[in-house]
Formats: sequence, C-alpha cells, structure tokens
Amino acid sequence: MEAEHEGSRTMIEEDEILVNGGNDSESRRHRPIISGEQLDVEAYAALYTGRTKISRLLFISEKCGVATMQLEALRMAYDEIKKGENTQLFREVVAKIDGRLGPNYGVDIAWADAVDRRAEMRKEKLENELNAYRTNLIKESIRMGYNDFGDFYYAHGHLGDAFKNYVRARDYCTTSRHVVHMCLNAILVSIEMGHFSHVASYISKAEQSQDALDPVTIAKLRCAAGLAHLDSRKYKLAARKFLETGPELGNNYNEVISPQDIATYGGLCALASFDRSELKSKVIDNINFRDFLELVPEIREAINNFYTSHYASCLEYLGNLKANLLLDIHLHDHVETLYEQIRNKALIQYTHPFVSVDLHMMANAFNTSVTGLEKELAALITNDQIQARIDSHNKILYARHADQRNGTFQRVLQTGCEFDREVRAMLLRANLLKHDFNLKTARRH
Amino acid sequence: MDFSPLTDALASKSYHRIADICDKLMLQVAYEGISFRDEWPYAIHLLGHIYVDDINSARFMWKMIPFDVKESKPEISAVWKIGQRLWTKDYGGVHEAIREFNWSPECHTVVAAFSELYTKRMFELLVSAYSTISIQDTSLFLGMSEDDAANYAVQQGWTMDAASRMLTVKKQVVAKEQKLDPSKLQRLTEYVFHLEH
Amino acid sequence: MNLNMNSVESLVAQIQGLSGNIAELSQLRTYLKHSDDLLRAESPRLAPVLNELDPSVHSLGYLYILFKEHVLLLEDPIRGVAPLLTALRKLQMSSEQLTTLHPEFLVLCLLSKCYKTGLSILEDDIFEVDQPRDLFLYCYYGGLICIGQKQFWKALELLHNVVTAPMSIISAIAVEAYKKHILVSLIHLGQFSTSLPKYTSSAAQRNLKNFSQPYLELVNSYTTGKISDLEACVQSNQEKFETDNNLGLVKQVVSSLYKRNIQRLTQTYLTLSLQDIANSVHLNSPKEAEMHVLQMIQEGDIYATINQKDGMVRFLEDPEQYNSCEMIEHIDSSIQRIMMLSKKLTGMNETMSCDPAYLGKAGRERQRFDFDDFDTVPTKFNI
Repeated sequence: MEAEHEGSRTMIEEDEILVNGGNDSESRRHRPIISGEQLDVEAYAALYTGRTKISRLLFISEKCGVATMQLEALRMAYDEIKKGENTQLFREVVAKIDGRLGPNYGVDIAWADAVDRRAEMRKEKLENELNAYRTNLIKESIRMGYNDFGDFYYAHGHLGDAFKNYVRARDYCTTSRHVVHMCLNAILVSIEMGHFSHVASYISKAEQSQDALDPVTIAKLRCAAGLAHLDSRKYKLAARKFLETGPELGNNYNEVISPQDIATYGGLCALASFDRSELKSKVIDNINFRDFLELVPEIREAINNFYTSHYASCLEYLGNLKANLLLDIHLHDHVETLYEQIRNKALIQYTHPFVSVDLHMMANAFNTSVTGLEKELAALITNDQIQARIDSHNKILYARHADQRNGTFQRVLQTGCEFDREVRAMLLRANLLKHDFNLKTARRH
Repeated sequence: MDFSPLTDALASKSYHRIADICDKLMLQVAYEGISFRDEWPYAIHLLGHIYVDDINSARFMWKMIPFDVKESKPEISAVWKIGQRLWTKDYGGVHEAIREFNWSPECHTVVAAFSELYTKRMFELLVSAYSTISIQDTSLFLGMSEDDAANYAVQQGWTMDAASRMLTVKKQVVAKEQKLDPSKLQRLTEYVFHLEH
Repeated sequence: MNLNMNSVESLVAQIQGLSGNIAELSQLRTYLKHSDDLLRAESPRLAPVLNELDPSVHSLGYLYILFKEHVLLLEDPIRGVAPLLTALRKLQMSSEQLTTLHPEFLVLCLLSKCYKTGLSILEDDIFEVDQPRDLFLYCYYGGLICIGQKQFWKALELLHNVVTAPMSIISAIAVEAYKKHILVSLIHLGQFSTSLPKYTSSAAQRNLKNFSQPYLELVNSYTTGKISDLEACVQSNQEKFETDNNLGLVKQVVSSLYKRNIQRLTQTYLTLSLQDIANSVHLNSPKEAEMHVLQMIQEGDIYATINQKDGMVRFLEDPEQYNSCEMIEHIDSSIQRIMMLSKKLTGMNETMSCDPAYLGKAGRERQRFDFDDFDTVPTKFNI
C-alpha cells in the first residue's frame, strides 16, 4: 500500500479516536495497528492496559516465531509487570527472557522481595479489617473487604482466589449498582482465566439490574458476551454482540478489549456467518459499527468487497491480515475456521445466480487453480452447500435443479416402504408383548 | 429317481426351468432317503443356476457337492469355473471358461445356450455403460475375435473409427407403455375413499 | 403313566394317541424327552416310522422324530427339508402364522445349503406369533438366509426385529443379530445409526453396544470414508470378526466402501476422468476404476456412461420418469399393501381396546399417574 494513501486515512482515524475519547498515547500512531504489515508490537500493546496487556504480549512472544519480535514483546511485558505486584509472573518472564535482554532485564530479587513483603503485610491488614467488619456485621464494609481482597489477589495473579472473593461480595451488595460492579469484576477475572461459562452467567446477572446500567457498562457487557460466544464458536451470536457494542465503549474497557478488536472480531464473525442482506443491514449500514470499522480499514475493505462480490480482493485483504490475527489471544483458535467459512460463503455466493459457471473464470476470481477450485467445490457440493455438479471434462459447473415431480414420487415410494416395514414390525412386537403379558397374568393366577 | 421333468425341460430347451426342477427333485429324493450323490447331475444342476444368473445358489450348490464327487467328475469343476468368473465379475474370463472345457453332450447344449445368452447380456451391458469403447475390449466382453466383435457391433448400429480402433455406442431407446387403463381410475376413487374414512 | 419305553412301536402309539390337545401335547413332550436314548439307539429304523405319522395331525411327534434323526444326529439335513416344509404348511392356520416349525425348517435349509428353498417361506408376511422364541430364531435364521442370497433389504428387516424385540434380559442371539445388522446395514445402506429406536427393550439399549465394540469401531472408520482407516480397523479386529464368523461380511463391507465413495462422486460431478476417480477413491489404476464403475452400472447402483476414448465417465440422473404402466402398477400395489396394513393396525387396536386384561392394566396405570385424564379408550394410532 502506498504511503500517501495511508496518510490520508490515518487523519480520519485520529479524529475518530478523539471522538471516542481516546487517550493521548494513542494519537501518536501513524498507521493502523491491525494491518497487513508485521505487527507493531509497541503500538499494539499501547491499546491495552492491565493484565490483558501482559497476557497479550506473552501470547505474541509465544506464537510469533520471530526472535526480535519475541524479545520485544518480552521486554515490554517485563516493564509492564514491574509496574505491578505479580512477582510470580515476573519470575516466569525472566526465565523466558533468559538473559537475552542484558542485565537490566534479569531477576530483580530486591524488587521481588520487597513486593512480596509488602504483599504479606497488606494481606494481614486486609484479613484483620475483614474480620473486624464481619464481627460488627456492617454489610457495606464486608462487601468492600471482599472486594479489596479480590483486588489484592488479582494484582498478585491469584485469579482463582480473586474470583472467589469478588463473588463472595455478592451477598453483601445492597444496591443494584453494587451487583453490577461485582459482576464486572467476576467477568474480568473469568475472561482472564478463560472461563467463559462464568462470563455468560455474570453477564445475565448484571443485565437483570437494568436501572444500574449506564451506556459504558452496557457496551462492556456486549463485548464480554461477544467474547463468550466467540469462545464457544457461536460466530453468529458473537457477531451480533460485537455489532451491538455502542460507541460509548471507547477506551473504557482496555483492560479487556480495544475498539479495534470490536471491529476485527465483529467483522470477521459477521463475514463468516451473515447472509448478504444481514451483512448490509447489520454491518455496512450500522452507523455505530462503522466508527469501529474505520479503525481497521482492512476489515472494512474486506467486508465491502465481499458485499460487492469482489471476492479475490476481499480474500486478499483477509490473507494479508492473517499472520497478525493469529497473534491475537482471543482470535487465534478461530482464525482458520472463520477464514474457511468466509471463503466457502464467497464460493457459494459466487455460484448462486448462475446456471453454469466457467471454472477457469471462477478460479481467477478466487485467485486459485482450477484443480484446487474443483476440490473446494466438490467438498461444498458433498456437504449440500452448493446445488450443482461439476463437468470436470469441460471445466464447467452446472446448477442442479431437483426434479420436484420425480423427487416426490421417489419420496412417496420410500415412505411407503418404510411404513410397510414399520407397521409389520410393530404388529409383531405387539404380539410379543401380548404373549408376555398373558404369561405374567397366567403365572399370577 | 425320476428325471423325466428334467429331460423334458432339456428337450424343449427350457433351460431357465432347470434349476427349479432340480432343486425340487433333489429335496424329494432326499426325503425318500435315496442316496443320490453318485448319480446326481450336479453339472447340469449348477448350469441351471448359472443360466438364470443365480450365482448365490450356484455357490451354495458347489459347497454342498461332496469332495470325492467333485474329484471324480471334472465337468462339475469346469461349470463352477464359469460360476466363479461370474461371481468375481471377470467378464472376459467367463468366455474363456466356456471355451476351455470339452463339454459332454448333455452339458454342451446348455453351455452353448448360456454362452449365447451371456454374449447378449454383455452386449446390453456395453450399450448401457459405454459411449465409446475400444474394439479390443469389446472383443473381450463379447468373447469374439476383434473382427467379429467389430462386425457384430456395427451390425447393431454402432460406428467404428478404424484409426483409433474405437467404437461409438448406439444407445437404444426403450419405449415404455404409458397408457392408463380405466380400471385405475376406479381404484383411485377407492383410495380417496380410504383416506377420507 | 405306565409306559413301555422300550420300543419304537409304543412310541408311535403314544404320538398317535397324544396329539389331540394342548394338555396332551405337553404330556407327549415329556414323554419324548424321556425317549432320547431309545431314539438314538434306533435311529436306522426311524425313517419308516415317519410314514406312519401324518405331519398335520401328529406335528410334534413328527417333528421330534425327524429332528432326532436328521438334525441332532447331524446326519443328512437335506432329508428333512421337504417334509418339514409340508408339515409347516399343514400346521399353519394361515400364511400369516408363525409355527414352531418355521425356525427348524430354516435351520435345516442353512445346514443343507438350500438357501433358495428357505427364502420361499420368508416371503410371507408374518403377523401371528405364539412363542417369542420362535420369532427370535425365525428372524435370526431368516436373516442368515437372506444374507446368503444377498437379499440385504429383507435381512435388515429380520435382524432388526430380533434386536428390537421386547426382552427382559439380553440374549446371545440378539447380540449376534445386532452385529450382523451393523455389517449388512453398512453393505446395503452405507451407514449405520447407533441409536436404537425408542421401543427397543432397555435390556438391549443397555447391553448391545458393550458386546459389539469392534463393530461400532468399524462403523466409525467406515464413516470417515477412508479405505485406509477401514482396513486398519479390520486388521486390528480381524480375530474378533473371525471368531464371530463375520469375516466374509466384513470383507463385503470393505468393498462396499469403494462403491459408496464412487456413488458420492456422482452427486458431485457430471463428468470425471477415470484417473481422477481412481485417485479420489484410492484405486490403483484408471482401468480398475472403470471396472468398478461398470459393475455399479450393471447392478443399477449408479447411472453413468463410460467414454473410453477420452478416459471419462459421465454421470447421469436416474432415468426413471414415473410414467410407465409398470411403475403405476408398482405404486398401485404399494398403496394397496399399505391400506391392508392400516386395516390390520386398526383391527388390532380395536381388539386391544376391548381386551379386559389390557383395559384393566391401562386403567390401573392411568389412575396411578393421572386422575383427571382418565378415558377408557386408548388414543387411536395416527396413520
């Protein structure tokens, strides 16, 4: 892609970011972060805060397979961890770096010990406080106590304990606002742990307290729901949730997800699962989502090209993005499936309006060989996704129109045969049951 | 043992009846407690099954024949060889098995009749299964020399490309009776009645 | 009873005397059981005895002697085929009735390899059964005969009856029938559904699968459509299949997968080269592919024409247009059969709803479960 071209596009994006309440660190970007080029790890990491930032960096270091990128990710993860209190994760990352980043990125024992010592003291203090609250039975204080404990464990990387304490606060919630707060905490930890069934159940709990839901919270819940559906491979439901996410989200949920992610996750799921009319009404004409899409122009272009039947170009955009999407902590496991579904949908849509299709032309349109295309089409026909047959000799695909009259005759005769067999079997079984019954009655007498 | 129904069938060239006649006769003779194994016309009986294309029965029949009887009468094995080729769908091998053996006069007429029938069956198969076929393969399926096979096919309306030694098959149009007789209408009325009650 | 058990003559007298009613028959049965040794010792003299008995009147005794002579001593089973068939026909009130002789007749047919003769009684529709045991054996042996004659459709039906028949404990015969049902289903239909119909007894539901693991593995590997998977599965379970006497059927399963895979191609392609067919179904050469296609055309499994000149196959639609007189005749007879069956079903339903024993039981159970919804007439079958 040419530089000038990109420049003009970024201008718009920056505006959008500001509109969305973006923070300063992001406005220094000069090109889209999710793009076809090699991932700019620093810019990418800047989209996130908190634990997810570290997790995502570590995920990249694990999956990227490029030594420089791996080290960069580890370096940034190291820096980020040192801002916090998770000494266990710190030690793990140091082990992964293995001295490759010089003396500044080694085991800082003094720091770790200091943090651990402080943590012990803090924990003791929290325990004493909580015990005092519980003896005095002050509901609100107990809730706060559990909450503090949750925060404490979360900061130190004990996610299971964090979850337990956040959830314990539930019995001491006195307002619906408290309940929603508790739910958001539980959701955050559950996402970190990958327990998406918990995510789903705390979303629905939060949604019961309609009065306490502000637009930002609603947007957060939508995102979380989208992630939960994505995890369970319900791409259509995931797409709907991401598409419903309001612009209020902005950068308010960066400890989980960035607005760019909404565009990418939502766009891909929609491409893979929506039909043409849904794609138009729910994605392309969706003003809210359009703002998100502007953040990731490649996804936007892929969607538009798909809708206007420029499949080769759509697939090319997606192809360029693939390497980077595979580095995404949530998308990684789904990229292949989503891509396959999108490609299949494109193939199906391409053939749909025709009585016959020249396979050479179609192969061109999909940037593939005729032999490769034949295989793909054969698989789709076998799965009953395309009603056609391949004239492999002349390389033409012919639409197949089922002969309704013959089909009906065939079905009628078959149903007749089945009925015949089943009734006879039924009569026989009835006979046996009767015999058995008579035998039992005879024995009784 | 009274083989007259069998001799009648053979005399009237009703070869398709051989299998049933022999089956029935065998059960009857067995019931009467007569030891028949040494005198039984196993070869003809087997041929009877083969003639009506009942290879399953031919196979079971073969399994039933006592070993020493098979040993002493090589013609039985020769008949079964035809059956085996049919069983394994070795189309050309059937003709070979027919030619290979020097048949006794009783078997000879039945084998000859079967050979003719089989050639006809093979030709029909070629008509239904091929659009073009080499002269060489045609001769194999029909059990004829290449020249004879080509002539036979051309007589049936096929065309020959001498350069490529390929025959183009002429499909036969089978006309099916389509007329509806009025009694069908009566029945249809009855069905509707049945459905409504 | 003071019987002289020492002579064949007295045995004949007993049979002739004790064939009048059920009570006498059970007396006769006891008597015959005690005569085992005598029958064995006197076996050469038994054939003439049969002439003194009329199978239609002295069926039990007739059968017993016949069996001692032919089957249990395993002498010459073919001798019993004809007389047993006559006896069976005479004993039947109608062709719809299953007699005790049915399974015995089928066993003789199997032993004497008279499969075709066995097939003749399997064409009857059976609706009346006195002894469940008879039906089990009739269906099982009948299934074997149909398999031998490659009447797979009928074999499936018979074996299905064995598997799904009401039973309180699982029987060996049901297990064997289930195994064969799996194999025949793969050969004939190319698939097998492991879920049993809901009317299957719970004994069968619970146990069948445990006893048939290698067969279910076979189903799984068949479903992948890969010859190599299927062959590996056959290899690793070979001994099991062999001891079950099913190796022959298993081999037919393997060759049916080639067919199935070619059939699948006909759904996808209008034309395909013989080379491509060979590649996609894992055959060694285009010639081998041609022979497979040819056999399938011959057997009516597919509609296609082979073009040797271009090395191509053109797959065609089923040419049946459902407008010939023959087809109308076929549809007509099918409708009539179904009407006949519906009538039978309604008839049975009516008999049942008038049966005091049934009403008593149904009434009790309804009362136990539902006081408000009590009605004396059970709901009609929806057909």
